Amino acid sequence: MWTRKASFTFTGGIALILIGMMIANLQMMILGLTFIAFIVVNSWISGHGDVEVQRTLSADNLYKGDDLYVELLVTNRSNRNTQLLEVYDNIPHEMKLRSGLNQMRLNLKPGESARIRYVLRCPLRGHFSIGPVSLRSRNTFNLGVEEMLVDHHSDIVIFPQIKEVEEAFLRSRTPKMYTGATTLRTPGQGSEFYSLREYVPGDPFKNINWKAFARTGDLMVNEKCRDAVTDLYILLDSRDIARIGTVLKNPLEMGTVSAASLAAFFLKRRDSVALAIFDDSLAYLPPDTGDKQYFKILSALAGVSPKGKMPLQAVTNSLSGRFSRGSPVFIISSCEGDGTVPAAVRDLVGRGHEVTVLSPSSIDFERLVSRIPRMSYEVLKLERQNRLTTLAGSGAMVIDWMPDMDLSQALMQVRGY
Amino acid sequence: MLDGLNLNYRRIGLQAAFWAVMLILLMSILVNFVNISNTNQLSAYDDDWNDMSAFRQDIKDMGIQTNSLVSSPLLLADIEDPRNTTYILAGVERDTLSLPQFDSDGFITIAAEDGYSPSEIDAIVEFVDAGGTALVLDDYGFAGSIAQAYGVRYTGYQLFDTTYVQELDYNYIWMCVQSTPCGMNGTTIDPETISVHERWSGQSGEGTHPCNRMNGQSMPLEDAGLCAQHWVDGEIQYNATYQMLLNNITALELIPGVSGALSEVSIRAVTSNEATVDVNGDGEIWVGNEINSETPDLWGQFNLSIEACARKSCDPNEGGKIVFMADGSALINAIYDYEGFNDAENPLYGTNDCVTNNTKCIPENDNRKWAMDFIAEALMSSKIGEEGQPSENAMVIFDESRHPQNALLADSYNTVYFLLVYFTGEGLAMLLLFLGLFIAFEAVLIKKRDPEPWRHVFSIIYYGFGDANRYTYYSKTDKIRQVFLSKVRNQNGLSREEFHAMPARELVALINDPVLAKFAIEPGKYSLEQTVAVVKRIKAWGRT
Repeated sequence: MWTRKASFTFTGGIALILIGMMIANLQMMILGLTFIAFIVVNSWISGHGDVEVQRTLSADNLYKGDDLYVELLVTNRSNRNTQLLEVYDNIPHEMKLRSGLNQMRLNLKPGESARIRYVLRCPLRGHFSIGPVSLRSRNTFNLGVEEMLVDHHSDIVIFPQIKEVEEAFLRSRTPKMYTGATTLRTPGQGSEFYSLREYVPGDPFKNINWKAFARTGDLMVNEKCRDAVTDLYILLDSRDIARIGTVLKNPLEMGTVSAASLAAFFLKRRDSVALAIFDDSLAYLPPDTGDKQYFKILSALAGVSPKGKMPLQAVTNSLSGRFSRGSPVFIISSCEGDGTVPAAVRDLVGRGHEVTVLSPSSIDFERLVSRIPRMSYEVLKLERQNRLTTLAGSGAMVIDWMPDMDLSQALMQVRGY
Repeated sequence: MLDGLNLNYRRIGLQAAFWAVMLILLMSILVNFVNISNTNQLSAYDDDWNDMSAFRQDIKDMGIQTNSLVSSPLLLADIEDPRNTTYILAGVERDTLSLPQFDSDGFITIAAEDGYSPSEIDAIVEFVDAGGTALVLDDYGFAGSIAQAYGVRYTGYQLFDTTYVQELDYNYIWMCVQSTPCGMNGTTIDPETISVHERWSGQSGEGTHPCNRMNGQSMPLEDAGLCAQHWVDGEIQYNATYQMLLNNITALELIPGVSGALSEVSIRAVTSNEATVDVNGDGEIWVGNEINSETPDLWGQFNLSIEACARKSCDPNEGGKIVFMADGSALINAIYDYEGFNDAENPLYGTNDCVTNNTKCIPENDNRKWAMDFIAEALMSSKIGEEGQPSENAMVIFDESRHPQNALLADSYNTVYFLLVYFTGEGLAMLLLFLGLFIAFEAVLIKKRDPEPWRHVFSIIYYGFGDANRYTYYSKTDKIRQVFLSKVRNQNGLSREEFHAMPARELVALINDPVLAKFAIEPGKYSLEQTVAVVKRIKAWGRT
């Protein structure tokens, strides 16, 4: 592509030739021809050669608010200089450049490499992709610019933040069919012996079975059966109405944080956690425990976006057959715009579930972005209080979660109802 | 996915249709300008029997530079030495492009003249005025506009005469370049009727042909220079008789009452008195004492060659001259170089009846002699000691701009060249070109942008707004009352049915607040202040 300078030179050349012809001035025509020839010769000098780009990330998964360290290695694989080469790593606009620069101007000799290092802060959860890498080369006189993309992408998942949750307020009155911890016939964190296996680096020394080592001469470790204490169900409202508020403070964002934090807390306690996300459809992750389930839950929460208007009762009806008897159910919803919430909660309570409704106060989130008349705000708040009172009257524990309130602080309120 | 695919096809289809329409429009324009002909004739740069390569070769052999003009006669304005330049126009077979230009009054006009635009005619006239020599050979073509500038008109109708070559056919007519018509004696021209070129022979008393001035001088052939055609037995023997053979001719007229660009207009050749002109073009001659529908054709004596000069003497040193001839093919190879055409041993211009059957041979003629003498008069040096030699800057320009080419590229090249010359030579076009260049510069200045420098923009601006229309609804008394009653019901653990069945007195007792009780039971109008006060009370109600 020609630069502005090249376009001016070309137009000027043509103009000089034509005007030279008009006034029969040979010198002017020769000058014009010189301009054109200059452009033509310059266009022969093509851009950069074969450039290889490699990107290294400090992590593939991060928590919201964490820093990501990126290193870009640019190598000139051709047998000539790259000339003036601009390298730019395309990063999602949701990420903030914390230090360093994601671009550089280079002139690499054949075989020469250069590294670009920068740090990104990731303030939003989600699935992101860094790349492609844009290259722009200019010729010596800056008459031509050539751009190309190196299709090199690095995917990264930003999980919701995990907040500290204090000792649980909820415990299933009937965790399983049997009281106490139940062993599952799968390897994992637990107390009961499951099997012996060969030692692999990273296994804790306390798990080494010394007797087996003495007997076989090989390091062997004990594997335990996974214990599950409680099946916990988290129902996250991801309907379109959950978008109200700012990018960092809205019912859905707070809902994902609370769901991730609760899941982390209960999984750490070796409970089984199930996650249901309802928006325009229902996404259900069956109860399980362990790191894998933790990763699954965080991945699912990372990709949540507000859409649809599925009623809660449709969710509870479709999942009722899958709920373990008496298991606690967490409903994370603003309870706005859904008339089926009281009935759904009543139904769950009636089946013996211990229902906790964690309700981000959407009217207060709305107040962050909209100028709500005072009286309307008060009446809306009153109506919301009525709604929560109704839920509490149905036997659920209800938490009215205000935007500036910490999760653990909000969970304390459960006693107030 | 399927929708995307369809959209893509639709987009491609739409683009294809757009470019097809553009192409059709472009072709329709080009068809008007680019006129590919199967007959590429009268070109000095082609060597078919109907081209003029032999004439050009003779000129080159004289040591005179030859050039072609493929764009427009506007370029004649750039000739540095018009005095020593001869412009030859043989056959104007194509009309000009009608492009806007300034007329003599300064108004914008679309050129409608045949063959050449007013600017081009002006350029030719100015060239001749500046001392240049022009030769216009045409019959049914588009040279009329040039002739009119000199008070001459091409009739455009085929002319028949009794002085035709009987071995060939009535299209081949003899033209004697003399003031009186020549006649036939059997199949040949009657020698009794042959005379001489009135001016070149010096009979008129005003000037003479330069070769005539060298008459009788002894010299080797190589020193004869431009008079070599008169060299006989070691000396110049100038002969001013010219029996020229023409083919398929028309007639020339002097336009009555019109004075052309040059004052001295002379008729140089005429037909016999029995010549006829087929006005209605039906191939038959019907003549009478008057012209009517039954006898539409003309008969009598017609002009075949007219010469216009700046001075009576037609001396090139005193001004330019232009010669019109009523035949475009007077100098074609077949007639001009009849020996090469008839040569059965070595036919220079392909096979013909003469070569194969010894019939229809082109008779001996003076076309070459006349043409060489024309060039000699125009381009011979006037310096002492250079008699017979061409002048230093002698140049002959053949106008090829109005000959259709038989190749698309050649004709396109000519058209593009024409447009280039038009835009750099014609006043209005130059103005338009300046305007175009100005706009081009402006466009580059405004539209052409260098690539923006790359920079990362951190942007997470996002606002999720609620439905603002409901704010008004929530400030209405009825809605406030409904919310309050729901609060009363919830606070007291009543079902909807129980609450609705409750008598008013019990409800008042339940509310236990006269203001709120009145608000709940008696619908009425409340001012804004009253509503605010009620809402405050509702908020505080039941806290104990």
